Amino acid sequence: MGNAETTMDLLFPANRQQVLAALLLAPGRSLHLRELARLAGSHAGTLAREVDKLTQAGLLLRSVQGNQTRYSANVQHPLFPELAAMFRKTHGVVPLLRAALQPLAGQLVLAFVFGSMASGQASAYSDVDLLLVGQTDFVAVVQALYPLHEMLGREINPVIWSPQELAAKWQAGDAFARDVLAKPKLWIQGDAHELEQLARHWQAAIPAA
Amino acid sequence: MSLSNLHAIGKLQSQPPDPASIAKLLQAARQNLADARVEPVSNGNRFDAAYKCILQCAMLGLWAHGWRTATSQPGHHQTALQTLDQTLGVPKADLIVLDALRRQRNVNDYEGDPIADASLHACLRAAEKLLRHTEMWLRQQHPEWRVV
Repeated sequence: MGNAETTMDLLFPANRQQVLAALLLAPGRSLHLRELARLAGSHAGTLAREVDKLTQAGLLLRSVQGNQTRYSANVQHPLFPELAAMFRKTHGVVPLLRAALQPLAGQLVLAFVFGSMASGQASAYSDVDLLLVGQTDFVAVVQALYPLHEMLGREINPVIWSPQELAAKWQAGDAFARDVLAKPKLWIQGDAHELEQLARHWQAAIPAA
Repeated sequence: MSLSNLHAIGKLQSQPPDPASIAKLLQAARQNLADARVEPVSNGNRFDAAYKCILQCAMLGLWAHGWRTATSQPGHHQTALQTLDQTLGVPKADLIVLDALRRQRNVNDYEGDPIADASLHACLRAAEKLLRHTEMWLRQQHPEWRVV
Protein backbone atom coordinates (compact mmCIF):
# COMPACT_ATOMS: atom_id res chain seq x y z
CA MET A 1 0.00 0.00 0.00
CA GLY A 2 2.85 2.39 -0.81
CA ASN A 3 4.95 3.84 1.92
CA ALA A 4 2.85 5.99 4.20
CA GLU A 5 5.90 7.45 5.95
CA THR A 6 7.28 8.77 2.64
CA THR A 7 3.90 10.32 1.87
CA MET A 8 3.96 12.11 5.22
CA ASP A 9 7.44 13.43 4.38
CA LEU A 10 6.01 14.85 1.17
CA LEU A 11 3.08 16.48 2.97
CA PHE A 12 4.78 17.82 6.10
CA PRO A 13 8.28 19.13 6.81
CA ALA A 14 10.18 16.96 9.30
CA ASN A 15 9.95 19.38 12.24
CA ARG A 16 6.22 19.83 11.78
CA GLN A 17 5.74 16.06 11.77
CA GLN A 18 7.69 15.68 14.99
CA VAL A 19 5.68 18.38 16.77
CA LEU A 20 2.34 17.06 15.57
CA ALA A 21 3.26 13.45 16.39
CA ALA A 22 4.36 14.38 19.92
CA LEU A 23 1.16 16.29 20.67
CA LEU A 24 -1.58 14.68 18.57
CA LEU A 25 -0.68 11.15 19.66
CA ALA A 26 -0.99 12.14 23.33
CA PRO A 27 -4.02 14.43 23.52
CA GLY A 28 -4.26 15.86 26.99
CA ARG A 29 -0.48 16.12 27.30
CA SER A 30 0.95 19.63 27.37
CA LEU A 31 4.63 20.29 26.78
CA HIS A 32 6.84 23.33 26.85
CA LEU A 33 9.11 24.11 23.96
CA ARG A 34 12.22 22.54 25.42
CA GLU A 35 10.45 19.24 26.19
CA LEU A 36 9.01 19.27 22.69
CA ALA A 37 12.45 19.91 21.20
CA ARG A 38 13.92 17.01 23.17
CA LEU A 39 11.20 14.61 21.99
CA ALA A 40 11.57 15.83 18.41
CA GLY A 41 15.36 15.65 18.54
CA SER A 42 15.48 19.32 17.54
CA HIS A 43 16.21 22.76 19.06
CA ALA A 44 13.70 24.98 20.83
CA GLY A 45 14.66 27.89 18.57
CA THR A 46 13.97 25.87 15.43
CA LEU A 47 10.62 24.62 16.69
CA ALA A 48 9.35 27.99 17.97
CA ARG A 49 8.19 29.19 14.52
CA GLU A 50 6.62 25.82 13.75
CA VAL A 51 4.69 25.79 17.00
CA ASP A 52 3.54 29.40 16.43
CA LYS A 53 2.15 28.60 13.01
CA LEU A 54 0.36 25.50 14.26
CA THR A 55 -1.11 27.47 17.16
CA GLN A 56 -2.30 30.22 14.81
CA ALA A 57 -3.95 27.58 12.64
CA GLY A 58 -5.79 26.35 15.72
CA LEU A 59 -4.23 22.85 15.68
CA LEU A 60 -2.40 23.49 18.95
CA LEU A 61 -3.48 25.25 22.13
CA ARG A 62 -1.13 27.53 24.03
CA SER A 63 -1.42 27.90 27.79
CA VAL A 64 0.72 30.00 30.11
CA GLN A 65 1.56 28.62 33.55
CA GLY A 66 3.72 31.00 35.56
CA ASN A 67 6.63 31.84 33.30
CA GLN A 68 6.17 28.71 31.18
CA THR A 69 4.30 28.48 27.92
CA ARG A 70 2.93 25.02 27.20
CA TYR A 71 1.41 23.54 24.07
CA SER A 72 -1.13 20.78 23.60
CA ALA A 73 -3.27 19.32 20.82
CA ASN A 74 -6.57 21.06 20.18
CA VAL A 75 -8.90 18.07 20.10
CA GLN A 76 -11.79 20.38 19.10
CA HIS A 77 -10.15 21.29 15.79
CA PRO A 78 -12.32 19.98 12.92
CA LEU A 79 -9.33 18.14 11.41
CA PHE A 80 -8.03 16.68 14.70
CA PRO A 81 -9.49 13.15 14.37
CA GLU A 82 -8.27 12.66 10.79
CA LEU A 83 -4.89 14.26 11.36
CA ALA A 84 -4.28 12.23 14.54
CA ALA A 85 -5.20 9.06 12.64
CA MET A 86 -2.59 9.88 9.97
CA PHE A 87 0.07 10.18 12.65
CA ARG A 88 -1.04 6.99 14.40
CA LYS A 89 -0.42 5.17 11.11
CA THR A 90 3.03 6.65 10.49
CA HIS A 91 4.55 7.59 13.85
CA GLY A 92 4.61 6.04 17.29
CA VAL A 93 4.12 2.29 17.49
CA VAL A 94 3.86 1.47 13.79
CA PRO A 95 7.42 2.19 12.58
CA LEU A 96 8.85 0.70 15.79
CA LEU A 97 6.88 -2.51 15.39
CA ARG A 98 7.75 -2.72 11.70
CA ALA A 99 11.45 -2.42 12.50
CA ALA A 100 11.28 -4.94 15.35
CA LEU A 101 9.41 -7.47 13.19
CA GLN A 102 11.68 -6.96 10.16
CA PRO A 103 13.74 -10.13 10.84
CA LEU A 104 10.48 -12.15 10.78
CA ALA A 105 8.89 -10.33 7.82
CA GLY A 106 9.44 -13.30 5.50
CA GLN A 107 7.35 -15.53 7.78
CA LEU A 108 4.46 -13.07 8.03
CA VAL A 109 1.65 -12.48 5.57
CA LEU A 110 -0.13 -9.78 7.57
CA ALA A 111 0.65 -7.74 10.66
CA PHE A 112 -1.48 -5.05 12.24
CA VAL A 113 -2.30 -3.36 15.54
CA PHE A 114 -5.91 -3.61 16.70
CA GLY A 115 -7.78 -2.60 19.84
CA SER A 116 -7.54 0.71 21.65
CA MET A 117 -4.18 1.75 20.17
CA ALA A 118 -5.62 1.45 16.66
CA SER A 119 -8.91 3.18 17.40
CA GLY A 120 -7.33 6.13 19.21
CA GLN A 121 -9.01 5.13 22.51
CA ALA A 122 -5.81 4.08 24.27
CA SER A 123 -5.03 5.30 27.77
CA ALA A 124 -1.53 5.63 29.18
CA TYR A 125 -1.88 2.05 30.48
CA SER A 126 -3.29 0.38 27.38
CA ASP A 127 -1.39 -2.56 25.94
CA VAL A 128 -0.54 -2.77 22.26
CA ASP A 129 -2.67 -5.55 20.72
CA LEU A 130 -0.89 -7.01 17.74
CA LEU A 131 -2.22 -9.57 15.27
CA LEU A 132 0.23 -11.49 13.11
CA VAL A 133 -0.86 -13.86 10.37
CA GLY A 134 1.77 -16.23 9.07
CA GLN A 135 3.91 -19.22 9.94
CA THR A 136 6.03 -17.89 12.76
CA ASP A 137 6.98 -18.93 16.24
CA PHE A 138 5.50 -17.31 19.35
CA VAL A 139 8.84 -17.37 21.14
CA ALA A 140 10.65 -15.64 18.25
CA VAL A 141 7.96 -12.96 18.11
CA VAL A 142 7.98 -12.32 21.85
CA GLN A 143 11.76 -12.00 21.90
CA ALA A 144 11.76 -9.65 18.89
CA LEU A 145 9.17 -7.40 20.53
CA TYR A 146 10.60 -7.40 24.03
CA PRO A 147 12.93 -4.36 23.60
CA LEU A 148 9.92 -2.24 22.62
CA HIS A 149 8.19 -2.63 26.00
CA GLU A 150 10.58 -0.19 27.58
CA MET A 151 10.74 2.16 24.58
CA LEU A 152 6.96 2.44 24.39
CA GLY A 153 6.21 2.18 28.09
CA ARG A 154 3.54 -0.35 27.11
CA GLU A 155 3.27 -4.09 26.98
CA ILE A 156 2.74 -5.71 23.61
CA ASN A 157 0.40 -8.65 23.34
CA PRO A 158 0.85 -10.62 20.11
CA VAL A 159 -1.77 -12.96 18.67
CA ILE A 160 -0.34 -15.25 15.99
CA TRP A 161 -2.62 -17.03 13.55
CA SER A 162 -1.72 -19.23 10.63
CA PRO A 163 -3.60 -18.26 7.43
CA GLN A 164 -5.69 -21.43 7.86
CA GLU A 165 -6.59 -20.45 11.42
CA LEU A 166 -7.67 -16.97 10.28
CA ALA A 167 -9.88 -18.39 7.53
CA ALA A 168 -11.33 -21.10 9.80
CA LYS A 169 -12.21 -18.55 12.50
CA TRP A 170 -13.73 -16.14 10.01
CA GLN A 171 -15.77 -18.83 8.30
CA ALA A 172 -16.98 -20.24 11.64
CA GLY A 173 -18.16 -16.78 12.68
CA ASP A 174 -15.71 -16.56 15.59
CA ALA A 175 -16.71 -13.53 17.69
CA PHE A 176 -13.16 -12.34 18.30
CA ALA A 177 -12.15 -12.61 14.64
CA ARG A 178 -15.28 -10.74 13.48
CA ASP A 179 -14.67 -8.02 16.05
CA VAL A 180 -11.00 -7.56 15.15
CA LEU A 181 -11.64 -7.63 11.40
CA ALA A 182 -14.44 -5.04 11.66
CA LYS A 183 -12.58 -2.51 13.82
CA PRO A 184 -9.80 0.02 13.07
CA LYS A 185 -6.30 -1.28 12.39
CA LEU A 186 -2.84 0.17 12.03
CA TRP A 187 -1.15 -1.74 9.25
CA ILE A 188 2.42 -2.91 9.67
CA GLN A 189 2.48 -5.44 6.87
CA GLY A 190 -0.18 -6.21 4.26
CA ASP A 191 -3.47 -4.38 3.87
CA ALA A 192 -7.23 -4.69 4.35
CA HIS A 193 -7.75 -6.21 0.91
CA GLU A 194 -5.24 -9.00 1.55
CA LEU A 195 -6.86 -9.66 4.93
CA GLU A 196 -10.27 -10.06 3.37
CA GLN A 197 -8.90 -12.31 0.63
CA LEU A 198 -7.25 -14.54 3.22
CA ALA A 199 -10.25 -14.65 5.54
CA ARG A 200 -12.79 -15.47 2.82
CA HIS A 201 -10.91 -17.44 0.25
CA TRP A 202 -8.12 -19.37 1.92
CA GLN A 203 -9.75 -22.78 1.44
CA ALA A 204 -10.71 -22.03 -2.17
CA ALA A 205 -7.25 -20.68 -3.04
CA ILE A 206 -5.17 -23.38 -1.43
CA PRO A 207 -6.40 -26.96 -1.15
CA ALA A 208 -6.05 -28.49 2.32
CA ALA A 209 -2.41 -29.37 2.90
CA MET B 1 14.47 -7.51 42.21
CA SER B 2 16.20 -9.69 44.79
CA LEU B 3 14.15 -12.12 46.87
CA SER B 4 14.93 -10.26 50.09
CA ASN B 5 13.80 -6.96 48.51
CA LEU B 6 10.57 -8.61 47.36
CA HIS B 7 10.13 -9.78 50.95
CA ALA B 8 10.77 -6.24 52.21
CA ILE B 9 7.97 -4.81 50.05
CA GLY B 10 5.53 -7.54 51.09
CA LYS B 11 5.48 -9.50 47.80
CA LEU B 12 7.06 -12.58 49.39
CA GLN B 13 6.61 -14.25 52.76
CA SER B 14 9.07 -16.63 54.36
CA GLN B 15 8.06 -20.25 54.88
CA PRO B 16 10.46 -23.08 55.76
CA PRO B 17 10.63 -25.67 52.94
CA ASP B 18 8.39 -28.67 53.57
CA PRO B 19 9.16 -31.73 51.40
CA ALA B 20 5.59 -33.10 51.72
CA SER B 21 4.08 -29.81 50.43
CA ILE B 22 6.68 -29.65 47.66
CA ALA B 23 5.84 -33.22 46.58
CA LYS B 24 2.14 -32.33 46.50
CA LEU B 25 2.68 -29.19 44.38
CA LEU B 26 4.99 -31.07 42.00
CA GLN B 27 2.31 -33.71 41.53
CA ALA B 28 -0.25 -30.99 40.75
CA ALA B 29 2.12 -29.41 38.20
CA ARG B 30 2.56 -32.79 36.45
CA GLN B 31 -1.20 -33.36 36.41
CA ASN B 32 -1.80 -29.93 34.89
CA LEU B 33 0.69 -30.59 32.11
CA ALA B 34 -0.97 -33.97 31.43
CA ASP B 35 -4.38 -32.26 31.29
CA ALA B 36 -3.01 -29.59 28.93
CA ARG B 37 -2.19 -32.35 26.43
CA VAL B 38 -5.81 -33.55 26.18
CA GLU B 39 -6.66 -32.56 22.61
CA PRO B 40 -10.48 -32.51 22.60
CA VAL B 41 -10.37 -29.72 25.21
CA SER B 42 -10.48 -26.10 23.94
CA ASN B 43 -7.27 -24.14 23.39
CA GLY B 44 -8.22 -21.79 26.24
CA ASN B 45 -8.50 -24.52 28.87
CA ARG B 46 -5.46 -26.43 27.62
CA PHE B 47 -3.49 -23.19 27.77
CA ASP B 48 -4.78 -22.52 31.28
CA ALA B 49 -3.65 -25.95 32.48
CA ALA B 50 -0.19 -25.55 30.93
CA TYR B 51 0.09 -22.06 32.41
CA LYS B 52 -0.86 -23.46 35.85
CA CYS B 53 1.97 -25.97 35.51
CA ILE B 54 4.38 -23.08 34.78
CA LEU B 55 3.13 -21.04 37.73
CA GLN B 56 3.39 -24.07 40.04
CA CYS B 57 7.00 -24.65 38.94
CA ALA B 58 7.72 -21.00 39.79
CA MET B 59 6.14 -21.50 43.20
CA LEU B 60 8.16 -24.70 43.69
CA GLY B 61 11.31 -22.65 43.12
CA LEU B 62 10.27 -20.17 45.78
CA TRP B 63 9.14 -22.87 48.24
CA ALA B 64 12.44 -24.71 47.85
CA HIS B 65 14.25 -21.52 48.91
CA GLY B 66 11.98 -20.90 51.90
CA TRP B 67 9.64 -18.32 50.36
CA ARG B 68 6.08 -18.13 49.14
CA THR B 69 4.20 -15.43 47.22
CA ALA B 70 1.78 -13.29 49.16
CA THR B 71 -1.33 -14.23 47.13
CA SER B 72 -3.21 -11.28 48.61
CA GLN B 73 -0.83 -8.96 46.74
CA PRO B 74 -1.68 -7.81 43.20
CA GLY B 75 0.66 -9.24 40.60
CA HIS B 76 1.64 -12.37 42.52
CA HIS B 77 1.79 -14.39 39.28
CA GLN B 78 4.24 -11.88 37.84
CA THR B 79 6.25 -11.94 41.07
CA ALA B 80 6.52 -15.73 41.04
CA LEU B 81 7.55 -15.86 37.37
CA GLN B 82 10.14 -13.09 37.62
CA THR B 83 11.98 -14.90 40.44
CA LEU B 84 12.63 -18.03 38.37
CA ASP B 85 16.10 -16.86 37.34
CA GLN B 86 17.08 -16.55 41.01
CA THR B 87 15.34 -19.67 42.34
CA LEU B 88 15.86 -22.26 39.59
CA GLY B 89 18.44 -20.52 37.40
CA VAL B 90 16.07 -20.12 34.42
CA PRO B 91 17.68 -17.94 31.67
CA LYS B 92 16.31 -14.39 31.30
CA ALA B 93 15.34 -15.06 27.67
CA ASP B 94 12.94 -17.75 28.93
CA LEU B 95 11.47 -15.40 31.55
CA ILE B 96 10.48 -13.00 28.75
CA VAL B 97 8.48 -15.78 27.12
CA LEU B 98 6.87 -16.89 30.39
CA ASP B 99 5.79 -13.32 31.12
CA ALA B 100 4.29 -12.99 27.63
CA LEU B 101 2.32 -16.21 28.29
CA ARG B 102 1.04 -14.68 31.55
CA ARG B 103 -0.35 -11.71 29.59
CA GLN B 104 -1.97 -14.04 27.04
CA ARG B 105 -3.68 -15.82 29.89
CA ASN B 106 -4.96 -12.49 31.26
CA VAL B 107 -6.59 -11.39 28.00
CA ASN B 108 -8.06 -14.87 27.59
CA ASP B 109 -9.43 -15.08 31.14
CA TYR B 110 -10.62 -11.51 31.55
CA GLU B 111 -11.54 -10.40 28.03
CA GLY B 112 -12.43 -13.66 26.31
CA ASP B 113 -9.85 -13.34 23.54
CA PRO B 114 -9.33 -16.88 22.23
CA ILE B 115 -5.98 -18.62 22.53
CA ALA B 116 -4.33 -19.06 19.12
CA ASP B 117 -2.72 -22.40 18.23
CA ALA B 118 0.72 -20.73 18.25
CA SER B 119 0.19 -19.47 21.83
CA LEU B 120 -1.05 -22.86 23.03
CA HIS B 121 1.92 -24.69 21.54
CA ALA B 122 4.37 -22.16 22.97
CA CYS B 123 2.76 -22.57 26.41
CA LEU B 124 2.88 -26.39 26.20
CA ARG B 125 6.53 -26.36 25.18
CA ALA B 126 7.41 -23.85 27.90
CA ALA B 127 5.56 -25.91 30.56
CA GLU B 128 7.28 -29.15 29.46
CA LYS B 129 10.69 -27.52 29.51
CA LEU B 130 10.19 -25.79 32.87
CA LEU B 131 8.73 -28.87 34.57
CA ARG B 132 11.64 -31.01 33.34
CA HIS B 133 14.06 -28.34 34.54
CA THR B 134 12.33 -28.08 37.94
CA GLU B 135 12.45 -31.85 38.48
CA MET B 136 16.12 -31.95 37.57
CA TRP B 137 16.89 -29.03 39.87
CA LEU B 138 15.08 -30.66 42.81
CA ARG B 139 16.85 -33.98 42.17
CA GLN B 140 20.26 -32.32 42.06
CA GLN B 141 19.89 -29.69 44.77
CA HIS B 142 17.70 -31.54 47.29
CA PRO B 143 18.03 -35.32 46.88
CA GLU B 144 17.34 -35.59 50.65
CA TRP B 145 13.72 -34.47 50.11
CA ARG B 146 13.06 -37.50 47.85
CA VAL B 147 10.32 -35.66 45.97
CA VAL B 148 11.47 -36.64 42.48
